[in-house]
Formats: sequence, structure tokens, C-alpha cells
Amino acid sequence: MGVIIYGTSHCPWCHKTREFLKESKIKFKDINVEDNEKAKKDMIKKSGQLGVPVIDINGKIIVGFDESAIRKALKLK
Amino acid sequence: MKNQFDFIIIGAGGAGLAAAMYGARLGLKTLCLGFSHGSELPLGGVITTTNVVENYPGFIRLTGTEIADKIREHAQSYELVTLKEEKAIEVKQNGKEFHVKTENSNYIGKTILFATGTKWRKLDVPGSKEFENKGVAYCALCDSPLYKNKIVGVVGGSDAAAKDAMVIAEHAKKVYMIYRGEKIRPEPINYERIMANKKIEIINNTNVVEIKGKQFMEKVILDKPYKGSKELELQGLFIAIGHIIISDLAKAIGVKTNEKGEIIIDHKTAETNLPGVFAAGDVADKPFKQLITGVAEGCTAAFSAYEYISKNKLK
Repeated sequence: MGVIIYGTSHCPWCHKTREFLKESKIKFKDINVEDNEKAKKDMIKKSGQLGVPVIDINGKIIVGFDESAIRKALKLK
Repeated sequence: MKNQFDFIIIGAGGAGLAAAMYGARLGLKTLCLGFSHGSELPLGGVITTTNVVENYPGFIRLTGTEIADKIREHAQSYELVTLKEEKAIEVKQNGKEFHVKTENSNYIGKTILFATGTKWRKLDVPGSKEFENKGVAYCALCDSPLYKNKIVGVVGGSDAAAKDAMVIAEHAKKVYMIYRGEKIRPEPINYERIMANKKIEIINNTNVVEIKGKQFMEKVILDKPYKGSKELELQGLFIAIGHIIISDLAKAIGVKTNEKGEIIIDHKTAETNLPGVFAAGDVADKPFKQLITGVAEGCTAAFSAYEYISKNKLK
């Protein structure tokens, strides 16, 4: 459990998501799916789709940087 | 007053952020509003979705995010600049004041700049919505690494489509550029790169009319046969068919737009038909839209806003 970001190197929304979590002082595991087939398969299995970023917050899957959904899942104000 | 500004900028892409920087240099208390909630673009605007920027003087080669961050940091280095990630939902004019309502607050400005940019035009054919993020994608920079060793298509023939095709070709086994016109039309330097790239094949005079698959897309249907078949097997399809101008807020206060929805500006001043109202960047009516041209218009708009405030003794 915990927070996991599945992303790619140059995706602006992945960058934005990482920045948001850092600013919110949330620890997260940052997984780059570019050259990691297993991680890519995990991401597809969890989200059922191919877009990044995918954010796994204690099993709650959020596709894209949806700030309100991320805040809700993390119980942030 | 906390929520009163000399210069309110709606949009925090290159044009808006450059205008904020220049407004502050001219002594204007400036608010720059950027919208950042997933469906639109992050601060920095459309350039953040560009892999490599090679046409901005002073920087031979940077990623779109790198240059966007530099422009944002530059704007934020001025105390007179307030940058907020809020979506403007309504603009009203009250005499010589402009009232801007966001999801979180209300602001009053003496002048206003629309730097609202554009959003991706979506492909509207059977299957395009069903397979979005399941093969159909709009951000090549974000999602192309997921198509390693796959066969992928790009719909479009512009410079942006060509750049997308080249980014995708770094990962995919094969890339088809599917274009409705006679000949793709990227900048000459990118045309040469496309022609030299052995992974990229161009299909001209052709439209994608349907996308088919199961959980993920598996093929597209073309409106005319290519190499004897209207079916083309693809695991991914990136859409680069242009952008839709975001000018609704400006239109609502009477700002004139052209048939494309672009805000009509005086190209010497960036002024619209309404006094105190300016436009810059991709939302404005101009044939050549680049970061460098948007930034220049943003600075011009800031200077014009400063002159408007001075002439009308609003400060």
C-alpha cells in the first residue's frame, strides 16, 4: 500500500503530479514505465488503460492529474 | 486592496507568463491565472507537451517543460506578480473595471489580458472516444513510450503532427502519418527529418473513419484503400488535428473574434476592440503561432496595458 505514480520521463502531467505530492509532503514511489515492461503491465492491469500518469493511492486508482480526486484520496484539504 | 489588480491575465502559458513578467517590470500589480486540473494544460501551457524546443533564441535545445519552468520562474521572481492555479469561469465589465470570477475567488482588474490559448481538437469518428487512452492518445510526449515496438498511427499533417511522429518513432516499430491533404506540411527542417526517418511512412489523401478493437484498439478503417486494404492494423493512434481556440470568456464581454474564434487584435498593440482588453498567444488572430511569437505579444500587451492605465489616469 502507499502512494505510487506510474509515469514517463517527459510527461508534463507526471511532472505536475510529482510536484504536487512533494509540495503536499506525501511520500510516494515513482515508477517510470518507459523501459519497465512489468511495471507497465501492472499499470494497465490496475487502470485498464494506457495513459499516464496513473496514481495508486492505497489501492484507489486515479488516471491523470485530477487534483480534487488526489486530495480526496489522501484526505488533504 | 488584496483582490484588486492593475493587470489581470487569464492563462499561464508562455504568452501569459511573459506578460506577467513585463507587467511587473512596468510597475503593474499583476495577477496571472492558470488552470491546472487534468483536462487542460499545466502551468506553462501547450509548450509543456513539446518534446524539444529548438526555436527559442538563447536556448539551443530544451524540453518544453524546461523552458516553461524558466519562463514561470522568471515571472514569479517579481513581487508584483501573483500566480494562481485557478480557473476563470466568468468575466464581466463594470465601467472601467473588469470582474473576474474563479472557482475559488473574485478579482477586480483595471485591464485584462486573454492568453487562454487552445485545447486539443478531438477526433470524432466511431471508436475514438471508446478507445481514448486505450490506444487513442493526444499527448505523444506523455504516452508514446508506452508503445515501444508497436505499430502506431498519427492523424494529421502539420508541424506538430510531424514532431509527434518523430517522438513516437523513438519508441515504436513503425509510424504511419495519416493525412487528409495532398502533402504533409511541417516546417522544412522537420519535413527533411520525417523523410529521412525509415520508421515513418506517410499516407496522404486519407482519413481515418473508424477505430476498432476489443479492450484496446487493434485497427483503423480508412476511407480509401492503402496498399490494397481499407483496414490498417495499429496498436496506437495519436491525434494531431489542430486545436480549438478558447475564447468564450472574451466573447462574453463583447470581444470580437474571427470565424475560427480567434480574438482579433491590433498587432502593434495586442489590443482588442474593447479598451483595456488585450489578447496574446495562440488565442489571438495570427498565422504563425510559436512560443516566441506568443511571448512577444504578451510583452506588447503588458506595455499597452501600462499605457492605457497611464493615459486614463487609473493609477
